[in-house]
Amino acid sequence: MKHDEITCKRLILESLVEYEDGSMPEPDRHELERHLAHCPPCIVFLKSYRATGRTLKMLKPREIPKNLAEAVMSFVRARCDKKE
Amino acid sequence: MRRIKRGDDQAFREMVDRYNARVYSLSYGVLRNSEDAEEATQDAFLTLYRKIGTFDESKKFFSWFYRVALNAAYSRARRRKPAITVSLEDYVPRFRDDGHAASPEFAAFVEGAEDEAIAKDLAERAEGFIAELPDAYRDVIWMVDVEEMKPADVAETLDISIAALKSRLHRARLFVRQRLLEVAAVAQTGDAERRVAP
Repeated sequence: MKHDEITCKRLILESLVEYEDGSMPEPDRHELERHLAHCPPCIVFLKSYRATGRTLKMLKPREIPKNLAEAVMSFVRARCDKKE
Repeated sequence: MRRIKRGDDQAFREMVDRYNARVYSLSYGVLRNSEDAEEATQDAFLTLYRKIGTFDESKKFFSWFYRVALNAAYSRARRRKPAITVSLEDYVPRFRDDGHAASPEFAAFVEGAEDEAIAKDLAERAEGFIAELPDAYRDVIWMVDVEEMKPADVAETLDISIAALKSRLHRARLFVRQRLLEVAAVAQTGDAERRVAP
């Protein structure tokens, strides 16, 4: 990836996942960061993308019903002949 | 695994204790209803109990069992009224012809997400937006971003390539991001109107 090939579209639609998950090769990462350093719209986009990720993580921990394991065991026992 | 195959109840109980919360949470991601998610969890473990003999021990157990769990949840979901899903293309960011962005956006959502109460509200909205996604995208974003499962494990569970997983994950995130932006924009307009109201 060369610096002059990076557009906002390419960065946002094609490169962002690998940039964020750390799997992007270092030279590409460097070029992408050069673009980011001079592109306020992409910086704003990146912040919003990360804010989306943080928001999704707030969905955990989900409340698990009390005695779920017991309910599962009773359900399975009721439906299975233990000779199985 | 072998103990369960031999009919060892204690081993099955240990499996239930170990996996029930994750299976419930995966089911909830599909069904978004506690009662349905609990029933789907029971279905999944019943299938596990009955089909454990067909499990190939050269494969990873969790990916096999999570597929069983997702199937149980989708089977239950199919009995309900079909959900309306969206076209993701409508939520992909737009660019100028030269490929660059037209203008900055989304600042309001970032500011809102810093505030705990607003962030909580946005998270609740996000859960609804995830439910609007087509199944293939919903599974990926729920498992990676909400459940925080490793992408490689999710790809194996869903039997898709890492490249396909990343592509779906990104599309799903772009959709949720854009929907949250819309919510933030409406909230901001409402605040401004309340401020100018007599």
